[in-house]
Amino acid sequence: MQATFKVYRFDRETGGKPGFQSYALDLPEDATVLDGLFKIREEMDGSLGFRASCNRGLCGECTLRINRGGRLACITRIASVLTKDREVSVEPVRNVLVLKDLVYDVETLLWKKIKSVRPWLDPARPEPEREYVVPDEKLRPVRNAMKCYYCGLCDEGCSVIPFDKTFVGPAALTKAYRFVSDPRDGARAARLRALGEPRGIWDCVHCFEADEHCPRGIEPTQRIVDLRDAAVAAGIKSGTKNPQVARHYDSFAASVRKSGWLDEGRLALETWGVRRIFDLLPIAWRAFRRGKLPVPYRHPKRKGAERIARIFEKVQGKHS
Amino acid sequence: MPRHEVLIVGGGIAGMRAALAAKERGADVALLSKVHPLRTHSGTSQGGINAAMSRDDSPEAHAFDTVKGGDYLADQDTVELLATAASGALVELDHWGVPFNRDGDGRLDLRWLCGAARARACYVDDMTGHAILQVLYEQLLKADIPTYEEWVTTRLVLDEGACVGVVALEMASGSLEAFSANAVVLATGGCARAYEPTGAAYGVAGEGVSLAYRAGATLMDMEMVQFHPLGLRGRGLILTEALLSHGGYLVNGNGDRFALKYAPSYGERAPRDIVARAAEEEILSGRGIQEFVGLDLRHLDGDQVKRQFPLTAHLVKAQAEVNLTTDTVPVRPVAHRTIGGVRVNADGATGVGGLYAAGGCAATGVHGANGLGGDWLLEALIFGQRAGASAAERGQRLSRGVEIQLEEEKRRIAEIADRPASLERAGTIRVKLGQTMRQYVGILRDASGLEQAANTLQELRARSQRAGTTNRGKRYNYELVGSLELESLLTVAEVIAAAARAREESRGVHVRQDHPSRDDARWLSHTLAFRRLEGATLSSKPVVITKWKPEGRRY
Repeated sequence: MQATFKVYRFDRETGGKPGFQSYALDLPEDATVLDGLFKIREEMDGSLGFRASCNRGLCGECTLRINRGGRLACITRIASVLTKDREVSVEPVRNVLVLKDLVYDVETLLWKKIKSVRPWLDPARPEPEREYVVPDEKLRPVRNAMKCYYCGLCDEGCSVIPFDKTFVGPAALTKAYRFVSDPRDGARAARLRALGEPRGIWDCVHCFEADEHCPRGIEPTQRIVDLRDAAVAAGIKSGTKNPQVARHYDSFAASVRKSGWLDEGRLALETWGVRRIFDLLPIAWRAFRRGKLPVPYRHPKRKGAERIARIFEKVQGKHS
Repeated sequence: MPRHEVLIVGGGIAGMRAALAAKERGADVALLSKVHPLRTHSGTSQGGINAAMSRDDSPEAHAFDTVKGGDYLADQDTVELLATAASGALVELDHWGVPFNRDGDGRLDLRWLCGAARARACYVDDMTGHAILQVLYEQLLKADIPTYEEWVTTRLVLDEGACVGVVALEMASGSLEAFSANAVVLATGGCARAYEPTGAAYGVAGEGVSLAYRAGATLMDMEMVQFHPLGLRGRGLILTEALLSHGGYLVNGNGDRFALKYAPSYGERAPRDIVARAAEEEILSGRGIQEFVGLDLRHLDGDQVKRQFPLTAHLVKAQAEVNLTTDTVPVRPVAHRTIGGVRVNADGATGVGGLYAAGGCAATGVHGANGLGGDWLLEALIFGQRAGASAAERGQRLSRGVEIQLEEEKRRIAEIADRPASLERAGTIRVKLGQTMRQYVGILRDASGLEQAANTLQELRARSQRAGTTNRGKRYNYELVGSLELESLLTVAEVIAAAARAREESRGVHVRQDHPSRDDARWLSHTLAFRRLEGATLSSKPVVITKWKPEGRRY
């Protein structure tokens, strides 16, 4: 099979501009992208940098952007991604610091963030003499989260990280979820409190890109929603440094429950409080100029508001 | 120069367990790993981990299965130690957070693995190794053990015959640095990359074995190389043998369950050596499905299979483009584990002062001539722990001569890195090496093939010295790593071939077609290999027998 690999090259050591280099390859029909990269390095150009380890889709080490999609090179067959011009482009995933060619900074993308969520079990006391006796279904969510092989594609797809690199991100939150959901962990409340601080669970914009990108079907966004639910159920609606999250949460629910739709004026006021509301004046002014702030401000009940209120009752009944 | 009391080389399960044990003993310990610990080969282990946890099981019963599974070449005292320590290790893992599957009472569920007389393996779906790896890494972070990730250890530093440190290459900078230590624990994994195809990760290149060998340590049972019958078409992904022990069939081209011919009562549940050999013979005699045999699960409840083996079902679909529950899955034997390695005692000591080994690179003697599923992870944990703990006990050492040896090593590595470009390439030589080993030192062996292998290896060694390089940069120089790995693979391959040639009998994974039966009178002994200038010198050492006299091995 003939294919042209267009491979991202960049070397901080020698300087020079990053760019794509083309290699014409002849490979077996069932060859993978990783086979192609090895062929280049071992037979054509020994300077090509890329990482690989298990070579069978179990370790996440060779995660790359292949023909503009995040994939594991070792289980991506060339035939399945080849363009009409028989080309395969290979580059590092987006939003990372490139170290050399296809080697990028996973430490910042992933490992540091994972280390930040206190990623070890705090065993519930008393520790039994033998194994913890727990129903299997309680451990299923833990196992689901532990399927993660740290490819980082959820963080790469995240809508928040490009704007705020300090957001802990779906991969680390999935790791945190692994402990929060574990009945053998004894630090659940403390974990949820810590996760509620800025750059934690409340910073997710639930765009669900993480779920789209996760090759393991873990649905990281859903896990973040689970963490929020767990926090709220434990009476923790925000962190100490961002109390407005809880107020936003309550105000949002209260206004919809009362009128059947969101009262944005009330939401702003209740979220930020009377003192901080002055900070919002410039925004209010701009909104007013564009006709988005009706004067006088009114928020009438929506038709069918009673039916919406009943939804709240039903859902609350289900949760309590 | 960084200094730690204990240095662990290798970030897999054995290495991390050793690091934790050293730390528990109060040692200042650090871990060097070629790849991030979460990317090591340990994570690919799927099936489970053995322990006599149930009321009607016992460490004796476990030990007996292991001894018989190893065709009586296992050191029985060490096996008993392994089986006795197992349940404690499993409980510890549970307390650390490994989410083992539970039975209806909420206790650890047990799975039947091949070669066992009963269900004995605790498991985490079909990702047992992956889960244990993650949890050990969590504990490593909790214990605040420093890790040097993407550091390739290229040399052991010796002072008066004792190991007092290592020299390692930092991938990020390309520079060599010396580390001094009171003790070094090698936990670099096995040597299966000497074979092609293999189920092993790229990094499983026998470095620990060749480093120790070069430093004067003894290697043991190197001829014992285990093949796994379930290497999937495509990447050679090894499917868990739990698929067989859960009732899966292996069928040949005629649709016959051929394993029953080789193991009338166990069939596909027989130990790996027997099933892999059966598959090999079917394929070589033209009864395969092309160069594969079929794994057939169609008679089992498909939903249950998918529930038990979610990852496997997904990977089979993705990599072989067949459906695990409705198609016959093409598999063939691929090189899996090297049973041999650096000879160690039960505390991981190699005989070279200050040098310890554990896990895939060590030969503890527990697997005999064939390791059972579920014993490998257990061995890594138990003997990793023991090696780490005894390394921590080693007293303060002066690290003399470190600087000189660092300079020597810098010259050696520079010579390899700066070789002019040539038509010979390390990568192509490695592929040829793997094919040679598979063909002549694979499942079925004989004297003439082994001689052929020895000759080819000699040629390849000569070619490897002419192999050129093209990369002149220092950072992330994987071409250089490939050259170093080739050197180590050639070293271990030579010993494997020599040991296989010497053992004139068939036992476990070692099948000599010119000596088809087991010969307890002559060969109830381990093969030892020492490095001499002219090559490997072999001798032997009797097997330790405690409770179980060797008898016929029928399944």
